[in-house]
Amino acid sequence: MTLMRLTRACGVLLLSAGFSTVALAHNPMCECKEIPGEQIQCTGGFSDGSGAPGVTLDVIGYDETILLPGKLGQDSTLTFKKPAAEFYVLFDAGPGHVVEIDQADIQPQ
Amino acid sequence: MSKPAAATPPSPLRAFWLKWRFHINVLLLLVPLGFMPKYFADAALFRGDTGLGERVVGDVQVGPWSLKLAEFRNEGPRPDPAGPMKSFNAALCATCAEQVKATYLRIGKPRSLRAAGVIFFGTPYRMGAALPIPERTPVDAELWVTMEGWDGTMHQGSVPLSQASPATIAWLNKQGVKP
Repeated sequence: MTLMRLTRACGVLLLSAGFSTVALAHNPMCECKEIPGEQIQCTGGFSDGSGAPGVTLDVIGYDETILLPGKLGQDSTLTFKKPAAEFYVLFDAGPGHVVEIDQADIQPQ
Repeated sequence: MSKPAAATPPSPLRAFWLKWRFHINVLLLLVPLGFMPKYFADAALFRGDTGLGERVVGDVQVGPWSLKLAEFRNEGPRPDPAGPMKSFNAALCATCAEQVKATYLRIGKPRSLRAAGVIFFGTPYRMGAALPIPERTPVDAELWVTMEGWDGTMHQGSVPLSQASPATIAWLNKQGVKP
């Protein structure tokens, strides 16, 4: 019985060692979708599964003016009214840790 | 009233197993040997003994500065929860290591310094960055390097993706460019 358990433990250990390299980095990720009422809802987070409450999310026009400076709420989401001008969404978790979402990549509802 | 099972002689195979099982287990020690070539190749790659990466792209001129770019592995992007990621390594030129504050990498020309792409981290002699490859990347895309100096200046340079990573182009072709 003990031997069985030991073998199983070793197996699990080997498997986890094999998969450990997968979880090294945590890259920023952000997803935006259109919701009813001409609104856009963006959800931010990191690839290790953690949320991003309080992280900056700006809506920027194609002419580089910030249309809507925002921060994600406690649930890592931000909802805003769809701007009239052409825009992109910038999820900004620090220099080099950004995600850009162009308006063309936001799926209409 | 169960009778104890009659002692039937074990089959020859079972007899062999019962006699030699502990000796045969010594063979398990050979199992790690099979993994060693890959282990040592990876160790040398991570340590930098085999160069900057598996495939050196060459020098990219960025204003007054330059960097040596290399694909960490000569393969297409690896899947990640944040989308397919391709790892690049880079080394700053000898004179610019002191002057450059940050180096960024992006597919397509950055809209602004804030959106300059992923940042390289590590020493100036061996930096690494994991670049997200959007599924809609055109095969004629350019890889843009943005460098920010300690003096506040910013310079940009680019290299065709087909030159930087033929494996990524092959991967994109296999995926089929999304509309």
